[in-house]
Amino acid sequence: MNFSTSKLTTALDRAVDWFIPASLAADKDLRKQARLFLISHLMGPFIGNTVPLSLYLFDPTPSWDIAILSLSITGFWVFPFILKAIGHYHTLALISIQNLMFCILWSCYFYGGVTSPTLPWVLTIPLLAFFYIGDSARLRYIVLAMFGANFVAFGLLSYFVSPPEHGMPVAALQGLGIVSTVAAAAYVTMMAVYYARALASQVELEAVMRHQRTTAQHLRIAAVEADRASKAKAEFLAKMSHELRTPLNAVIGYSQMLLEEAEDTGDFEDVPDIERIHAAGAHLLRLVNNVLDLSKIEAGHMDLYIEDFCLETVLRTAVEEARGQADTNGNTLNVTVEPGIPMVHGDQMKTQAVISNVVQNAAKYTQNGRVDVTCRHIALAAGDAMRIEVRDTGIGIDADDLPNIFEQFAVVDDETSTKYGGTGVGLALTRELCRMMSGTIEAASVRGKGSTFAITLPMVMSERRREAAPLHTILALEKSLYPEGKDPQGSFSDVSQKVA
Amino acid sequence: MTKILIVEDNEMNRDMLTRRLQRHGFEICTAIDGASGISAAESEMPDLILMDVALGEMDGWEATTHIKANPRTVKIPIITLTAHALSSDHRKSLEVGCVDFDTKPVDMQRLLGKINNALTAHAAG
Repeated sequence: MNFSTSKLTTALDRAVDWFIPASLAADKDLRKQARLFLISHLMGPFIGNTVPLSLYLFDPTPSWDIAILSLSITGFWVFPFILKAIGHYHTLALISIQNLMFCILWSCYFYGGVTSPTLPWVLTIPLLAFFYIGDSARLRYIVLAMFGANFVAFGLLSYFVSPPEHGMPVAALQGLGIVSTVAAAAYVTMMAVYYARALASQVELEAVMRHQRTTAQHLRIAAVEADRASKAKAEFLAKMSHELRTPLNAVIGYSQMLLEEAEDTGDFEDVPDIERIHAAGAHLLRLVNNVLDLSKIEAGHMDLYIEDFCLETVLRTAVEEARGQADTNGNTLNVTVEPGIPMVHGDQMKTQAVISNVVQNAAKYTQNGRVDVTCRHIALAAGDAMRIEVRDTGIGIDADDLPNIFEQFAVVDDETSTKYGGTGVGLALTRELCRMMSGTIEAASVRGKGSTFAITLPMVMSERRREAAPLHTILALEKSLYPEGKDPQGSFSDVSQKVA
Repeated sequence: MTKILIVEDNEMNRDMLTRRLQRHGFEICTAIDGASGISAAESEMPDLILMDVALGEMDGWEATTHIKANPRTVKIPIITLTAHALSSDHRKSLEVGCVDFDTKPVDMQRLLGKINNALTAHAAG
């Protein structure tokens, strides 16, 4: 039998839960008892009233005692409302058990005493008492005492005061016995089924909880494993970075030395080849550095280092780094800085890397065109920010590719990559660096016409002017701003919300 | 002639820097680790020290701290050479008392500029 799909049981469940006061709902055992109590009280009077009804029909001279019995049984319907209104569950349960005993013994007294057809109902008393009060020993003793007191009371009553004669025929008594027994059995069955269902759902719930506990345990283990793997990866990368850069430094350094020597001796025969070695080495080093930086950011091993610096100097340095590339491609490279850009408070190295990456990209992907770099101060809701725009007249990016250019290893196409030497790491790193600094980078482009990259970095204006800016002074100032051991990152994130 | 002490554990880097700086007219002496760098600073009394940071047992910052703790060598300007610009290494270099820092691979023009600045500041101070 599948009760859970039945609309009736669902509605009944809802009705039952509606009556449970908040004070009971919190306790798992109390809630279960209250549910049994409520189902018994909501359904009980329907089944129970079959007895007074059949008495009324079978009895040739029905009397007021039947009305009392029916009233008493119908009175069970009041209990759920009292429970909902004032609580006091256990007191209500005891009163209800008392009422039940009264109903049964009352009908027995009037109809046949110890041979009464309503006697099977006595069996429901301990059953319901068990459902209502659970395993509380104190309440069980009270119920037992009540049971005894009621028997004694009705025993004495029937001993001293004989019940009135109804003169019911034997056949009527037999019919009454059948109705009463069937009703009592139906009542007990209903309660047993409901109890079994509650038990089953509880077992199910516990199984789910056990399963979730196991899952949580697995997740904890996985998290520890992942953390260990991440640490191992970071360590490996740190070691690799040194191992990769050392030979690359030699390749780049020696090729540069050969170029310098050629300059001195005037023997330019091998210069184009050496230049290729040098460019390839520099390219590889940049790639290695970018990949390592990305990994560091992803592993959370890169922090912000906040200092005062002159943004204009950083901007011009970054632009100058791309000058060679721009010259090679026959581009003009212009810088416009809004007058009065003050000293700013931020991560100098990362700011420079971000600008440098974008300007070098522009210089790389533009042939015989121009690259314009502008820098101006803008006011955001969160505070001051610097907007650096890099506009080129280069090959541009297709609208379809534009959303993906900041993804790792996204080079527009293989042909572009071969021709221009893109690796698909630079922009991904640039975006990550911008995010670290709570900034953004956006791109707009038209294929064949050119691209514009706009970097917005929140920057706190430093109070000091740029005249007094030797590095030692900055360091001294920073020490006074950030007392020993305090991570400057914290004070930076006060100013603007940190992204990712 | 201006004498520069190069403290660098990698043979190729040492050779390369030595030759390139010699071409620009500097007198070069070298040390291969932090400990010999500290003693060379005192015995050679160079006008400037180029200090690699990743030196193995004793790193460049620690060697710098030792050199700055010695009254005889405290005034020698030190420029550290770090592997990569994005890291916080430059900060640490300044904290331990270096006058400047540069990143490898060395851009000779940039390094020469930094060397000249350091020497000028030293002469003035």
